[in-house]
Amino acid sequence: MRADDPKLMRIEPPKLTLAERFFLPQIAEGLGVTGRHVVGVAFQKKAITVQYPEEQHVPSPNYRGVHRLNKDEHDRIKCVACMLCATACPAHCIDIVGASAPPSWPDREKYPESFVIDELRCIYCGMCEEACPVEAIELTGLYDLTGLSREQMIFDKTKLLSVFDATKDAEPMKYAAPPPGPAPETKMLPSPLD
Amino acid sequence: MTTIIINGSEYPIPEGEKLNAIQMAKRVGIDIPYYCWHPALSVVANCRMCEIETGSKDPKTGEIKMMPRLVPGCQTPAKDQTVLVTNSPKVKEHQRMIMEYLLLNHPLDCPVCDQAGECGLQDYSYHYGQASHRFVEERLVNPRKDVSDLIQLNQDRCIMCTRCVRFTREITQTGELEVMRRGNHAEIAVFPGHTLDANPLAGNVVDICPVGALLDKDFLHKQRVWFLSKHDSVCTRCSTGCNITAEENKGRLWRFKPRSNPHVNDYWMCDEGRYSYQAANDPGLLAAMYVRTNDDLQEVPVDEAMTAVDRGLRQVLELGGHVAGVLSPFLTVEEAYLMARYIKGLNPTSVLALGPVPSRGSDVTIKPDQTKGRTGDTSFIVSRPFTIHAEKCPDRQGVEAILTHFQGAVITFEELSRRVAASEFQGLYVASDSIDPWIDEAASRELRSHVSFLVLQDTNVTPLAHLADVVLAGATFAEKAGCYVNADGRLQYAGAALPPREGALPDLDLFAILLHRPGGPVRSGEVLAELAEAVPAFAVARGGTVPVLGTLLGSSASADGAARAVAFTDSWYVPQGAARSR
Repeated sequence: MRADDPKLMRIEPPKLTLAERFFLPQIAEGLGVTGRHVVGVAFQKKAITVQYPEEQHVPSPNYRGVHRLNKDEHDRIKCVACMLCATACPAHCIDIVGASAPPSWPDREKYPESFVIDELRCIYCGMCEEACPVEAIELTGLYDLTGLSREQMIFDKTKLLSVFDATKDAEPMKYAAPPPGPAPETKMLPSPLD
Repeated sequence: MTTIIINGSEYPIPEGEKLNAIQMAKRVGIDIPYYCWHPALSVVANCRMCEIETGSKDPKTGEIKMMPRLVPGCQTPAKDQTVLVTNSPKVKEHQRMIMEYLLLNHPLDCPVCDQAGECGLQDYSYHYGQASHRFVEERLVNPRKDVSDLIQLNQDRCIMCTRCVRFTREITQTGELEVMRRGNHAEIAVFPGHTLDANPLAGNVVDICPVGALLDKDFLHKQRVWFLSKHDSVCTRCSTGCNITAEENKGRLWRFKPRSNPHVNDYWMCDEGRYSYQAANDPGLLAAMYVRTNDDLQEVPVDEAMTAVDRGLRQVLELGGHVAGVLSPFLTVEEAYLMARYIKGLNPTSVLALGPVPSRGSDVTIKPDQTKGRTGDTSFIVSRPFTIHAEKCPDRQGVEAILTHFQGAVITFEELSRRVAASEFQGLYVASDSIDPWIDEAASRELRSHVSFLVLQDTNVTPLAHLADVVLAGATFAEKAGCYVNADGRLQYAGAALPPREGALPDLDLFAILLHRPGGPVRSGEVLAELAEAVPAFAVARGGTVPVLGTLLGSSASADGAARAVAFTDSWYVPQGAARSR
């Protein structure tokens, strides 16, 4: 936008009264807020912080923590190694080696031979989850991600599947079954000729 | 002047060429979508995707008469005063309907389909199709099957364009593939016991398939095509010098795809060349330079190895000995030139010889017949033969031209071996880079026993490497850039696809170090420019640049007909987005 754009509107700051210019009422008001919190924590158990690690914080359902690889009803990895998560990943932290699925999986053509996420490189944006066409990768609510070395923080397929086992009860798969209801309504599209 | 009217603008028609509407529109930058048409195959017009409005303009009155119905563009010749309309609502509605029809039974498995990213259905669905699917019946499901050991057919993805069937009938004339059954149940099949295995050009059916029906099992499920970086290169498996794109990712090659060059390989490449990329991924390639100390080969840094080479050869000459250099036909012309300069620079009496020229079988020429086995209209086709040469090296002619320039005659490896056996030389510098094993144990011992100082520059570990005094790790075909001269004498540039592997250096750099060339890593274009100045046979490459389609040695660049030939790539194989600038 240019400085002489006619849509630009100039706004003058409001004029302060004498009391506002001394800032004393605002200071008193602020101290009042602090006091309310002190009283709330001390006498009414209204603390917002928790006593971690004795007390565990439960994040909101859309919190984006450690990844997991979902399993289907036959306990097989759901991932089909399409590598769309790796394509979408802005941090390039996903590395997948695809392979033809074993013949005992008739409904599948492809599966990941190896699936590695560098949890230190990941920025937890959730793009992988969004890109996944089969809901195989999900970000869980696990936030206490620690390790003693960089190598420990590179999660392979086994580890990512074990995250699923550890979290599946607390956080069921977001799309376990196909969306309920009848097939989307089919209708004739208007012809561009009319 | 003959002109054609496309979408309201008048364009001149190129003289002496018979083009159809798709080709003509493409020349002026207008895309007509198509699936079944291919410039080397007869026109069958069965996909109906390229239908456009046509008409003609009366030259006297200027009145335009349009045909009442849409006509396939692949069948419409670009004639004087033809009127083509490719963007009317009628055409667009037709394209939308054809896309919907082709996708009726097409499974929605783009995420696991290897063609995704270079798929005609994906591209055209985006440009001409619609996002919704009105077909409420169950889709036909067809099991996937093998049409050869290396090619898989996913029949439910097929759109029955029959390009593959026409390829086996018209180009290789072996007819392995056929259309079985009719209508909705039509499918591509092989005759029992007559698979594509014996066809040396079988891999091309994967390339010409516009969808993901025919897939290469060698590449199957390994990579997504948008991850691959494509590099224009030349196949080094035989002296045809097929133009290819070498596709690379994560530091290794994943596949070769043919690149159209009407002068050399047309649109094809042989399977032997196609799978020769694997040699560049071999974990057993030489990974360090070695110098013999105390009768044992010790790993040394590059500079030490290079000093050892130079010192060793000069020592031989000081003691009154003679030095010979062996230039393998796997070297690029630039490398051969620098090596010849180095060996001749040591002492003008030094001898240069051509390395062993590998040869297997006999030349196989596949000559498509314009008239026989054709299924449709052939009038737009220019058939060109495709030859797989028995000479399994890329640059014999180029190296020979350089040897002839430096010493007037070409000394073969056999002759050199005889002269070595006669103890004529005390120092020997062998540059090989051969893909296949090229020397056996006995021959190595024989060669070694007559020379006092032996340098071997190679990519593989050969029996001779264990006996050499200095072993230099050179670059594989994928790691070096330079020009090759093919069997027809065409100089073609091959770019490097991979960086030199750990411990090795491109041969051009090795020779540049020996020659004390200033200015860091050497560029093949600079050397080619010098070569063009120094050797008259390479005068066409003056300035160090070679046209995309190559240039014949000894011709002037303009007389080559380079202006006439147009390389063809299916629109879905043209790199898009970020890949275009990679």
